[in-house]
Amino acid sequence: MLNHDPIDTGQSWGLFSWICSVDHKRIGIMYMMLATFFLFVGGFEALLIRAQLAVPMNDFVSPKMYNQLFTLHGTTMIFLVGMPVFTGFSNFIVPLMIGAKDVAFPRLNALSFWMLPFGGMLLYFSFFSGSAPDAGWFSYAPLSTKPFSSLPGVDYWIIGLAVMGIGSVSGAINIVATVICCRAPGMSMQRMPLFAWIMFMQAVLIVITIPPLNSALAMLLIDRWLGAAFFEPARGGNAVLWQHFFWIFGHPEVYVFALPSFAIVSEVIPTFSRKPIYGYSFVAGSSAVIVLLSYTVWAHHMFAVGLGMWPDIFFAATTMLIALPTGVKIFNWTATLWGGSIRLTTAMLFAIAFLIQFVIGGLTGIMFAAVPVDWQLTDTYFVVAHFHYVLVGGIVFSLFAATYYWFPKITGRMLDERLGKLQFWIWVVGFNATFGVQHFLGLMGMPRRIYQYDDYPGWYLLNLISSIGAGLMAIGTVVLVWNILKSLRHGDLAGRNPWNGFTLEWSTPSPPPLENFDELPEIRSRRPVWDRDNPELADWKTEKTPEDKGFRPSAAKTAAWAFVISEAIFFVLLLVSYVVFNSNSGENTEGPTAGSALDVPRTGVFTLILLSSSITFWFAEHCLKREKNGAFKIWLTLTILLGCAFIGGQIWEYTGLITDGITINRNLFASTFFTVTGFHGLHVTGGIIALSIMLIMARRGYLNAKRSSVFAAVGVYWHFVDVVWIAVFSIIYLGYLQ
Amino acid sequence: MMWTSELWHWMSPIWAVVGLLLIVYLVAVRPLQPARFIALLLGLLFLSMAYVSPIGYLADGFVFSAHMIQHLLMLLVVPLCLLLSLPSRQTTPADAGEKSPSLKILATLGWLGGVGAMWFWHVPSLCTISTETFTVGLVRDASFLLAGLIFWWPIYGPLERTRLDPPVGVLYLFTACLGCSLLGIYITFTSTVVCPVFATPADQLGVLAQLQAAGLTPGVDQNIGGLLMWIPPCILYTGAIISLLARWYTSVDHDHSTTPIAPLA
Repeated sequence: MLNHDPIDTGQSWGLFSWICSVDHKRIGIMYMMLATFFLFVGGFEALLIRAQLAVPMNDFVSPKMYNQLFTLHGTTMIFLVGMPVFTGFSNFIVPLMIGAKDVAFPRLNALSFWMLPFGGMLLYFSFFSGSAPDAGWFSYAPLSTKPFSSLPGVDYWIIGLAVMGIGSVSGAINIVATVICCRAPGMSMQRMPLFAWIMFMQAVLIVITIPPLNSALAMLLIDRWLGAAFFEPARGGNAVLWQHFFWIFGHPEVYVFALPSFAIVSEVIPTFSRKPIYGYSFVAGSSAVIVLLSYTVWAHHMFAVGLGMWPDIFFAATTMLIALPTGVKIFNWTATLWGGSIRLTTAMLFAIAFLIQFVIGGLTGIMFAAVPVDWQLTDTYFVVAHFHYVLVGGIVFSLFAATYYWFPKITGRMLDERLGKLQFWIWVVGFNATFGVQHFLGLMGMPRRIYQYDDYPGWYLLNLISSIGAGLMAIGTVVLVWNILKSLRHGDLAGRNPWNGFTLEWSTPSPPPLENFDELPEIRSRRPVWDRDNPELADWKTEKTPEDKGFRPSAAKTAAWAFVISEAIFFVLLLVSYVVFNSNSGENTEGPTAGSALDVPRTGVFTLILLSSSITFWFAEHCLKREKNGAFKIWLTLTILLGCAFIGGQIWEYTGLITDGITINRNLFASTFFTVTGFHGLHVTGGIIALSIMLIMARRGYLNAKRSSVFAAVGVYWHFVDVVWIAVFSIIYLGYLQ
Repeated sequence: MMWTSELWHWMSPIWAVVGLLLIVYLVAVRPLQPARFIALLLGLLFLSMAYVSPIGYLADGFVFSAHMIQHLLMLLVVPLCLLLSLPSRQTTPADAGEKSPSLKILATLGWLGGVGAMWFWHVPSLCTISTETFTVGLVRDASFLLAGLIFWWPIYGPLERTRLDPPVGVLYLFTACLGCSLLGIYITFTSTVVCPVFATPADQLGVLAQLQAAGLTPGVDQNIGGLLMWIPPCILYTGAIISLLARWYTSVDHDHSTTPIAPLA
């Protein structure tokens, strides 16, 4: 039998026991190991880039190879290092912090993880196809469309990202459901440790930020494989639309990385200052506000594209605004340090370096919010320096802080502090050498993504310093790996709470046993372990926090809602593309249009059929709750049949259109029409499959009133599919908004 | 000069509404709390400015973005101020946490009203009719005010039992922001003329010629209108979200707490 022993028993260390594990801690560790592996891959690519740029007019790598290197470096670091490593920490630490036994859906968790190596393999398999993706990590159209990138590299990029995206969204839904539904008694939302709260916010952000990318990827794939022209201006498409869609994803993605850093620092700094965080509610609340604001600033990546003066002004304003919730948090952390009894452990050193370097990256970010500065500096090395100060100086440093802080909990052994400090100083010097000088290179006008440069005054020296710095960071990383390998064998035993931490993960043995806790301390404040260890100084005696009212909704329904929100955003973007390409005033009137090709009354009838299936579903659910099993099965069967009838109607419609020669590559109306209705049809089909599974379960007697929440979760999805159709029907068939 | 006195509508009938509201408030609300009274005055100021100031004049078929400012004042700002001016009824310890059973329906209506009003009145034909016909315009403005009141009620309503739990309220405002953003994005970037009446105004005062000379062409005008629909409401909602979160984090249990529920966020 496969069981999920705690990792310290020495029993089930076999590879197979890891592959089959559904334990959140093991999955968390696998996420981190995957990220470490790809950190080496992406880091190696970065070293090749820096080797190429170390001297002027170098021909160490070919221009094509260079394009592939920076494309894969960016894509790897974002999707295969940043996303997995934080999901890994979230997976391991969040259930422990909120006193849960595991995540809400352990098997979904395993699925989410295994999507990642699969997507990573697809991405890197492109090398064997003879063309790795080389259109940059944001694959701007029209460069990424077929006429300009005819080899399959971009296709692997699309498919790889889509696969990884599915894993990320399902993993994030799991964290959302875990936090909402699995908190230990007494752990009200307002009492959650900041790490758990902010990682919850990050999961929410992932749920809403990946769908725009998926819409864009789907459309680009349809362009490339089926001959549509969404992003090909030469055939009436709109390349700027790709930029919009990509950055609606891309900017919140920055916060998908930044939020975990805030989360980590908000734990490390209080622990090593021996103080509670200063301004808990501000740090927590502002992280929630960032989720909202991050969605309103994407166009600042597009100032140079010519959106017009007024959009530029508004986006500049929102961009400066989003600096506020982030900027004030810096004061929260420094105020926590103030007057604290500070221990400069390696984790703390990395956290402090994070504060300083993140501020530098943030300040150059505010410079870019000023449109004229952006025009001057966009696509220069100043941009490269700016986002590496955020992503490396800020986020990677916080990641190292997390590594030194939680390694004892994860493995049961301490990392060597002497080697840790050595790594820290090598990294501080290496990082600032690499990216600090790039500010100057950018100001001197060195463009990003060039594979060679002429020997202009100063460029050689600064680039050389940058390359040497990159080498130092590599050496520092080797020190970390050596430290980990050495400490795993010979490190000091950690015990439960080596740092005198405040939160629940420190109350259980290191590494934690299966199902995490033998007993939980009473949770009456934000620092339950502190309260237990210092009863006379307990937080709840001096500061009241909102009580837990004990409300825990059904995990299945919570997950269904999160999924539906994610899918809704996907459809909204597809519908936006329909509206963009089918406005009456446009010039795209050649060939069929909605008015000339569609049979509105006929589809109206099928619309009524689909909508009535929501009513029959409601009756089915009602009967299930009342334990009227016979009636339940009849209503459910009827729902499935109505769904099938709708799909039948769609097949009828498609057949008619295709025999008339209206196919997806005919014109932009046909492309958008088939894309929107096709994806909706797929969703209906998925719903029919889910309902059929419910019917089979009901026939075998697995579905009863007690499990009605599972059925209700399917219902959330089914009703959602209907609501989407109402929007589709009003926009495409009735012509609203055109 | 643009800001001539002709652009000010000093004889607007809106003063009657303002005066009526003020009298009703002074009669009905006792004792007068300064903060709440200021909220009322602000609300009345915005309400009168929406019609009396050049915004009101230009909104009347001349400048689309002025028309948008008027809508935002009527739908979001004025109702918010009016609700904040009402004294809040504190929950007694006995029914702490009890929510009204009709809250779900109220919140659904409020959300649909708040987001839907904007979508509904910007269907091109309705937009034109309501700008050209006085009575339809009146209906529209009244419906904005009403929709705004229902929209804000579950967030800032005076009765604690008809207020959403803060986390739900955050979701309510967040999705409302996405809803109005979408319309804003559409109006900003579409090549369709959303409100055709603004494309061919009858310009008696010659204001428009000056504005167009200053760069406010109909295209730019719609651009700004869309951005106004998009960004300021979201910023307002963000502010409301912050106040909800503050309320949430300070909502120490009602029975033996020393801090009362934050009265005016």
